[in-house]
Amino acid sequence: MKRIILATIGVAACAVVAAAVGFAQPTASTGRASADAAAPLPKLPAEIANRKRLIVGVKCDTPPFGYLDVRGKNAGVDVEIAKWLARYAFGREQRLTFVCAPTAVREPLLTNGRVDLVISTFTYTADRDTRIDFSRAYYKATGRLLVKNNSSISSLADIRGKKIATTSGSVYDRWMKRCFSGTDVVVVDSVTNAVLAFNQGRADAVMFDDTSLALIAASDPNAKLTNDLFLEGPYGIGIRQGNTQLKRWVDSRLAIMKQKDIFQKIIVNNIAPRFVPAFSKNILRPNNNFGYRPANLPSVDTVCP
Amino acid sequence: MSTPAVSTAPALASRRRLVTCLVLGALAVGAAYVLVAFVIHWPDWAEPIARYVLTVGLPATLQVSAAAVVGATVIGIVLGTLLTIGWLPSRALIRGYIEIFRGLPILVTVFIVYFGLPALTPSLKFGPLTATAIALILWGSAQVAEATRGAVQSIPREQHEAASALGFGWVGRHRRVILPQALRRLLPPLVGLLVNIIQNSTLAAAIGGIELLQAAKSQSERLTFFPPAGIGEIHAFEIFAGLMVLFFLISFPLTRLAAMLEKRLV
Amino acid sequence: MLLATYDLWSFVSENWRELLQGLENTLKVSAIAIAGSFVIGVVLGAARAHRVPVVSQITAVYVEIIRNTPILVQIFLIFYALPQFGILLDQFTVAWLSVMLWGGAFNSENFRAGFEAVPYRYREAGNALGFSPRATFFNVTLPIGGRIALPSSINTYISVLKNTSLMYVIGYEELTTTAINIANLTLETLEALTVLGLVYLALVWSLSAAIRALESRLALPEAR
Repeated sequence: MKRIILATIGVAACAVVAAAVGFAQPTASTGRASADAAAPLPKLPAEIANRKRLIVGVKCDTPPFGYLDVRGKNAGVDVEIAKWLARYAFGREQRLTFVCAPTAVREPLLTNGRVDLVISTFTYTADRDTRIDFSRAYYKATGRLLVKNNSSISSLADIRGKKIATTSGSVYDRWMKRCFSGTDVVVVDSVTNAVLAFNQGRADAVMFDDTSLALIAASDPNAKLTNDLFLEGPYGIGIRQGNTQLKRWVDSRLAIMKQKDIFQKIIVNNIAPRFVPAFSKNILRPNNNFGYRPANLPSVDTVCP
Repeated sequence: MSTPAVSTAPALASRRRLVTCLVLGALAVGAAYVLVAFVIHWPDWAEPIARYVLTVGLPATLQVSAAAVVGATVIGIVLGTLLTIGWLPSRALIRGYIEIFRGLPILVTVFIVYFGLPALTPSLKFGPLTATAIALILWGSAQVAEATRGAVQSIPREQHEAASALGFGWVGRHRRVILPQALRRLLPPLVGLLVNIIQNSTLAAAIGGIELLQAAKSQSERLTFFPPAGIGEIHAFEIFAGLMVLFFLISFPLTRLAAMLEKRLV
Repeated sequence: MLLATYDLWSFVSENWRELLQGLENTLKVSAIAIAGSFVIGVVLGAARAHRVPVVSQITAVYVEIIRNTPILVQIFLIFYALPQFGILLDQFTVAWLSVMLWGGAFNSENFRAGFEAVPYRYREAGNALGFSPRATFFNVTLPIGGRIALPSSINTYISVLKNTSLMYVIGYEELTTTAINIANLTLETLEALTVLGLVYLALVWSLSAAIRALESRLALPEAR
């Protein structure tokens, strides 16, 4: 009799403990996360957990990574990554507030605490790393040059003396000012305005990430990309400096997304089918790893060709 | 029944004119609405944009404007009345406040509220629409204070003396005699201020606040993206011209109202 | 929070070149816009005061449109919409053009009121002296009406100067854009805003003081 009672109590205690542990796990749609990780997953910082909302800065004018759709809602690859992170954090993608983060204000938004994360085609550079923290790399972007079909610019060497449009505060802005001193850098606040300047003749070429320019070159019969590939700069998620708990949380969830090939799903959702293979080569996938340049090598935007 | 000493014909005629104006105006608005909603064939891209701009942008603009007008009027009238007191320190402070916020471009005030206050203390962090409303309150109250000072000082001394003779103190005098008259003179500039604030609410677009202008701008930008995000065409002119018409329809009646009030009350 | 690191002097000494360039751009745009709005104001104001047939009506429409729509929408219209018709303007041109059109509308009202305020007997005297209507305008109405309109038109010019700050939205590197860009880059927000505010206040206050000085000197004899 005593043994039966003890056994029942033991089973009940195990059930209670199991329920408590299950309850304490992040309410991810997959409880299998705990089975995959050898150690318990990093937790959200208390400030965000208490607020029950994730505030993310994204691009609002840079398809396909961040833009506003026909109903004025945020859409794009970066936006979907943010939605997945919100799902991991709170179980619902609605617990998310988006803030438009054009290139120039990405860092101030973080340092002023207006956003928790910046997922905004944010290229990692060692210089930026001194002011903010980056998550692990999630997209491998390369710089390209967009020119008109009959342009006199056939490669990077020709840009001196010409008007090249790029966004204010981008790696290209600094790189051109440092390495191509004769270039007239036309600085605008978004890649859309850069392309607008290019189409209006106020700029001879646009220098930006291949992500945006490849789609534009493919859709515009009058423009093409030169063959130069430069400034290979992976995107990272911007995090306020010193918020190591948030960084650990973001990195762990990005690792989960990599393992489950969620990035491929996001790419397929946001990019026309004929471009998917090209983009697939640049995202985190189960067998596609990449990271930032090692810290001992100089940052790409300080190295002149 | 004897004829009245003063002819009532002019008053009746102007009232009739007012009624005619209102009826014609209502008919015009009704006709325009029918045209816009049912008769004119709008291109495909226009409808979602109009819906987005009017359902998201317009309420935001109206909210910011309403908050700013109320705040500016209340604070401005208080400051303006205090400005008429002889005590130098308060006059100097209020005068300084007025000169600063009338002298700065409103955009700079917006930046000070939106970028500068959070740098002072993290608790003073405002969203773009709120920051614009606060900046408009600062600017608007300076304008109203100056106008109130002018209005209060235009009340003849005899009113002050008569009120004192009747036993009113400073507060009672102002509350019962001076301010009611001054506020009547303040009405036309206040309507003008409302128009100004509605138009200056578009400054929120400079810091990313989603009001009418920013909504229109982001949709116009979206149209230039290649499919599937947009349609790859530029229709900025139609969109911004439509926005001009919308603002004109809001502001023009108010401007006319201000002119009419000026004629009747002053 | 950032007050502890507030250092105005080092901010100015590090960035004074860009800030000076920005100030120079502001003054350039303002100068052109003020000159342009003066011309537009006199011409259109005179046309309306003299009830010139077609021009008056068009001017009235122009003035009402400019006064009843936000200047920011006007700027966007010129910058984003004109290219649709093939008219490509660079940012500097859009800057002075948009503010000039805005200032010209208000100024035409100022000068119209000024010209209409010239006492009729002066114009009568001009006629009696044998001046043609055009000569009457240039010798009598314009000088006197211009002086009457001076205070309100200088107020318009000050507003034109302040409105050049709006060129931030089209990315023209005038003072406000420069200061905010520096603030975003160096995160020295308070210092940048202080410099920005002080420079504008200095400009506006000195211009206002100039009006007050001019007002007393240029007032009409009977008004003195």
